[in-house]
This record gives sequence, structure tokens and C-alpha cells, in this order.
Amino acid sequence: MAAADDAQFPPPKVLTYPASTPPTLITQGAEGRLYKTTHLTRDRPCALKYRPPKPYRHPILDARLTKARLSSEAKVLERCWREGVPVPAVYAMDPAAGWMMMEWIEGIPVRVGINQWLGERPEEGAEIPEGADETPLVDLMKRIGAAIGALHKTGVVHGDLTTSNMMLRPVQGGQANGGAGNEGKTRAVEGDVVLIDFGLATQSMSDEDRAVDLYVLERAFASTHPRAERLFATLLESYKSTFKKASSVLIKLEDVRMRGRKRSMLG
Amino acid sequence: MGLDITKKKRRIALGCEGSANKLGIGVILHEGDAAAPTSTVLSNVRHTFVSPPGTGFLPKDTAHHHRAFFVRVAKQALADAGIRIADIDCICYTRGPGMGAPLASVAVAARTLALLWGKELVGVNHCVGHIEMGRAITGADHPVVLYVSGGNTQVIAYAEQRYRIFGETLDIAVGNCLDRFARALAISNDPAPGYNIEQLAKKGGRVLLDLPYAVKGMDCSFSGILTRVEELAAQMKANGGKGPDGEPFTGADLCFSLQETVYAMLVEITERAMAHVGSNQVLIVGGVGCNERLQEMMALMAADRGGSVFATDERFCIDNGIMIAHAGLLAYETGFRTPIEDSTCTQRFRTDEVLVKWRK
Amino acid sequence: MALEKLNLEHIPPTCQIYAAFFRDVSNCEFLHTQLLSRNSEFEYAFIDASSVISRLHLLAAVYSAANMLLDGTLRTPNVHSEIVVSLNTNNNIADAYRRWGITPGKTKDLIVVKVVLSSSTAQVEASTQAQTQEAIWDHIQQHVKGTPTPLTDAELAQTTEWPKVRKYYRLNGVPSLERLADEQEQRQQSESLAIMGMALRGL
Repeated sequence: MAAADDAQFPPPKVLTYPASTPPTLITQGAEGRLYKTTHLTRDRPCALKYRPPKPYRHPILDARLTKARLSSEAKVLERCWREGVPVPAVYAMDPAAGWMMMEWIEGIPVRVGINQWLGERPEEGAEIPEGADETPLVDLMKRIGAAIGALHKTGVVHGDLTTSNMMLRPVQGGQANGGAGNEGKTRAVEGDVVLIDFGLATQSMSDEDRAVDLYVLERAFASTHPRAERLFATLLESYKSTFKKASSVLIKLEDVRMRGRKRSMLG
Repeated sequence: MGLDITKKKRRIALGCEGSANKLGIGVILHEGDAAAPTSTVLSNVRHTFVSPPGTGFLPKDTAHHHRAFFVRVAKQALADAGIRIADIDCICYTRGPGMGAPLASVAVAARTLALLWGKELVGVNHCVGHIEMGRAITGADHPVVLYVSGGNTQVIAYAEQRYRIFGETLDIAVGNCLDRFARALAISNDPAPGYNIEQLAKKGGRVLLDLPYAVKGMDCSFSGILTRVEELAAQMKANGGKGPDGEPFTGADLCFSLQETVYAMLVEITERAMAHVGSNQVLIVGGVGCNERLQEMMALMAADRGGSVFATDERFCIDNGIMIAHAGLLAYETGFRTPIEDSTCTQRFRTDEVLVKWRK
Repeated sequence: MALEKLNLEHIPPTCQIYAAFFRDVSNCEFLHTQLLSRNSEFEYAFIDASSVISRLHLLAAVYSAANMLLDGTLRTPNVHSEIVVSLNTNNNIADAYRRWGITPGKTKDLIVVKVVLSSSTAQVEASTQAQTQEAIWDHIQQHVKGTPTPLTDAELAQTTEWPKVRKYYRLNGVPSLERLADEQEQRQQSESLAIMGMALRGL
């Protein structure tokens, strides 16, 4: 995952053509790579997702999968965008060549925002003390719940919800709130929640799939932000008030939790 | 007892495995510091119950096989190891997971040996046995483990005293998928259906048949693929099957397509787990791990990530007694015992239920 | 000269793109005939400006076509027809020409795009380029009877026929548009949706 590996991976052909600023590699995951570059004009930043060919896979199978996955991701993004769910817009793509350009989302990942906010708490490992003003964090949890509610309402499940796959996009025109001395910290959890990385997303209306989506986030949240685990309930409440069919999903979530990873297994 | 096992310079365990159609008994020697012992395989004997082509092994027949061969295999293991009964510190056996009847027959036999010889018992998780043996043989210290066999398909990585399951099959195991496909084509079960599929696949490859590709995050599913290859096998027999190039496809093409598809899925979920935990070592264990094409694909993936793949040969990949002896002895050295009254076995026994006290 | 050279990101200098905008074009019939007869002197993309939302919208189509030209993956006879087809959300070529192409008797305002792919870098030199640009402009000016107009968002906004655009890009009854009150925001959102529809063409 080190950036040093960068050199051994050739960029997609589309990025070998000149641009006003050279593309930069942002992340290198198992799925593919994310570059920051520009679309059409120098003042239009974009994220380019590239799924390179997998040398281990039969070329026919590889081509089929790459194309199908990029297409499916783009379709999900378009659907969300039309419905007003906060996700990046698709700018351009070539599914056969394995790339897609998307809107560049400014800001920081929610994970970073929450950790910055929690980081200024005195003792490590401790829960947020009772009585501390946690309003900004509670607000953020509500916004996340609302975004996921809106997502599920459109018939899309994300498939990999974590606080790294959500951005906090600064609100245009600046913010009004945030008391003296608290400003930096408050700002860390401000902004519009934008859901990103739909590489594992599917179109589904089933309670089970939606519940698993929430469960994945719940587990990720607990392991990433153990000190704020308690606030997850706020997120679910907000999800419930945004999404009419939430109550049956939340009942299913109970089942999914009970089941946990206790799937039956035979030797 | 009185004797502190960790102070002993040489520790010896006898392991009995019989969770599926292989009966295996092996003897292992650990020397030096119990926290990081050197392991030596003193013996590793196996006898396999092979069912006729077109059939699978049934629990009842398999258990009968294990009971019939236990004494013979145990005697051979002791003779090969060249040790006295007095040298043995503990008897290890597979507690699960696996098929009920075969597990029970071997557990009874192990218990009998323990009572007969006055040794302590150690119940071992079969999957942990594979992982520890794989680590010991290959020297992979912190790998992502792909455990693939007739009953299991898991992607595992160690964290905080447990082997955690990052991904697994949502329905049948990959080995089960291969075994059942072999039955559809009446491919021989000798030495193993998977091995014969691989030999046949080498003659295919003119076309890649379109099979479902079912990966969900780090999990995967094989039942849809099995249904499809069974349909295609039936079409082929009725001379009604045509490949993407319009020509009739062969059994070899089916084997080839099945291998390419299911192994690509396994490599993909392994890669995802590697990215997730930040490791670039892969260890393949379990019977399906013997497959050369799987090893080759895994090596290509690992090389692409600047890492390496570790695999063992059929002596250790395929179920065996030595891995049970080894993992059992590791636990025994940390003070773990299975009292005779608790020496049960269980068909369901998750890899992450075991407290791995012997690792940091 | 009202022929603008378009410099797009991720397009190599060997691929030169020029565009001009004319209002009140009076000889669409003639231009259409040249296209139908495949007159090689008229290798242009003629785009009906009433179906175009903005400069960015146009550039997205041009970029898509140029990229296919560079990759050798054109799905229509040439890069110019590919530009017209790239404005569509499906792969129906006739449909694309009816919507975005030149239609005698209907098209009033016209965008003309010319793509030149040089095989050698020598042709990319500034002086050669200037000559090319001048020659293209001379030819266009000679044959397109209309008022040259700057290719800007402000000018394009005057010619956009929204009912058509909304129909072509399925923008009617889209929740994300309906809740926007501000006209400028609506325009931007529509532009994004149109570009997205084009990017997902045929999926």
C-alpha cells in the first residue's frame, strides 16, 4: 500500500496525456487506485478511479468483471445523484479501459473529523465525559444517519460503509456556529456528509441487505471510534426519521447482530 | 504431573485427525523455548477413504473406515517416529469442525489412547491446526491465511490472540463445489477429485465458459457456480452445449472454466484482506491449497503487491495428524488441557473461538 | 478570428480541437447536404446549440469523442460524428443526429467543432498550428452563413431550449432538481445530470 509501490504500477493510458497539473495517486487499494486529476478544464478537479487488469485473472474474465463493476458503480452513482443523495457525480468513464472520472469531493473523511474532535479530549481511551458539550458530534451523527437513510430510500446499499467512506464537505459560505475556544474542534465535525466509494454497492430494497449495511458500519464505527460508540444510537434514530421503512430494517438489524459472525459451518 | 512442561527441553505430541475422509496420525517434537519452539516432524501417516467415482464419502462409511484403520495407522506412526510411549507428553485430537461420525470415532480412539497410556488430552481446532502447521513449515510469520478445503473456505488473519475470519463462503465450501462437480462428470476420487479436475483442466482452455462470479466484499459464494456447471455438464452429455465460439465444449473446458473462476474469486478476497490488514504475505492451507493453478494465481497477485505466497505440499496441505499434534502441543505448552470428561467433538467449531495463547 | 482553440485536460497536443459558434444560421440546408453527401471538405461536427446547456456540456462530448479517437475505439465513422453521438445518453446514432445534429428548417444557432489529429509532432509546432487554425476558419467562415458569436456560457444560455434538453436528459420529475429553487443552481444541476447521462451512455 506504500506510495513507493507507485512506480511499478503504470497509470491508465488516459492519464498519460498531459494536464495542467500532473495526476497524483491518492489511494491504492485491492480494488484499484484513486488519482486526483482534472476533467476538461484546469479548474475542474476530479477523482479518477482506475481498476487495473489483474494479472492472475483470465483476461476474458478480467475484462468482463472490470467492465461490469465500473458500470454498476456508475449506475448507482447516477441513481443516487438524481434522487438527491449526496454522492460524487460521474464526469466521464471508459469501462472497457477500467477508469471513471468523478467529482472531487473537498474536505476530510468523517473518520478524520471525528478523531480530531475526540483527540482534544483529555484522557485516551475514556468515553466522552458526561456533561461535555458533544452537540457538534451528535449533529454529525444525525447527518450521517440522514445520508444513509436517503441512500437506502433510493434502493441502493453501499456495501462498505465506514467513516473512511464518507467525506465532510465544507459548507459553502462558511459557518456561523462554534463558540469561542471551541472553534477548531467544532469545525472538525462540520460540513455536509458525502458518501463515497461505491465499488461494492448494489441495488437492493431488502431489509436484510440494508440491515447488513448498517451492521457493517456499526462494527467499523465501534472499532474506529470506540470512545464515541455510544453515539451510534443517535445515527440510527436519525436514519429512522429520514427513511419511512427504517423500522423493519432496524428490527432486522437486531437479528443480524445476534447472528453476528456465528454463521454455521461444517468442517 | 508435577513436571513443568515449559521447562522440558523436548516435548512430544501424538495427533489424531479424522474430521473428513482422511485418517491421519502424526508425531511431532518441539525443542527449546516453549514460546518459540523448533518443530520436527517425527512421523506423518495417513490413510484415505476413497469412494467410487460419481459418489461422495458418507459419514457412516467414513467413520467405519477410520475405526477400521486407526490401530494400523497409529502403530505405523509410532514405528516411523521411533519413540517409546513414555516419550509422549500428550495426545491431541481434532475436536472439530468436521463430519460428526468420523470426528467421534477418532475422538473415542484418542481418548482410549490417553486412558490406556495415562496421557493428557488436547482437543484441537482443525482450522487452527492447518494454520499453525502451514506457518511452521513455510516460516510465514504474519500471513493472511486462505484456508480452502472440502468443508471450509475462509480468509483469516491473526489479531489479538485470535485467528479472525475476515471473509468466508456464504454457502458451500470451494472444495465441496469441486467435489460435487467431479461427481457430475464422474471424475475419479482417487487420489482426490480436485487433483483430477486440475489434470483435466490442463487439457482445456480453448474457451472460457461464462460462470457466475460471486464475491461480496471479502465473502464469496459457490452454490450458484455449482448449479451452473452441473447444468453445463448435463448439456454437454446431451450434446447440446456450445461454447462462446459456437463449438461444443468439452469436460476439460468445463474444468478449466471452473478453476479459473473459483480461484480468481479466492485470490480476490485474499487480496482484499491483505489490503485491509496491511500484510503482503499469503499462506494457503487446506486440501484445495495443493492446486497448482491456485498457487500460481496467488503468486501473481502477491507479486503484484510486492509480497509473496507460502504454500505447503500435499503432506501438510491435505488433512493430516501432524498438524493436530503441532497445534495441540503449542496449546499444551501454554498449559491448555482437555479433561477426559470434556473431550467431546463438535461439527461446528469456528476458527475465531480458539484463544491463541501461544502468539503475541 | 472567432475560431477558438479548445485546450482540454488529458488531450495530447497532437490532437487539436477547434470550435466556433454562429447565431442565426441561414444555410443549414446546404450544410446538411454536405454532410449527407459525405463531402470530405466538410468534416465537422455541426451541433444544434438549442440542445446544448453550456460550454462544459459541449466540452464533455468533445472530450469523450477525442478520447475514443486517441484510443482507436470510435463507434461511429469519425470523430465528428462521435461528438454528436457523445451528447446522447444511448447509442442510437439516428436519434443523436435528430436531437443534436443539424436539422434543415429547424436549426438556427450552430456550434461547429473540428478535430485534427496530427501523426507527427512536427505538425504540432505553433506556426503550423496557426496556419491550420486559419485555414479551418477561412473554410468555415466561407460556408457557414451566420453571425459569429463567442462560445461562452452566457451566449449559450440564450439559445438553450430547456423543454428539449429536459426531455433528452430525462430531467423532468427528477427529485434532486425539483427541490432546488434557485435557477442558477438548477442549471448547474441539470448540466451535471446531462454530463453524467452522457458518461453512462448505453449502460
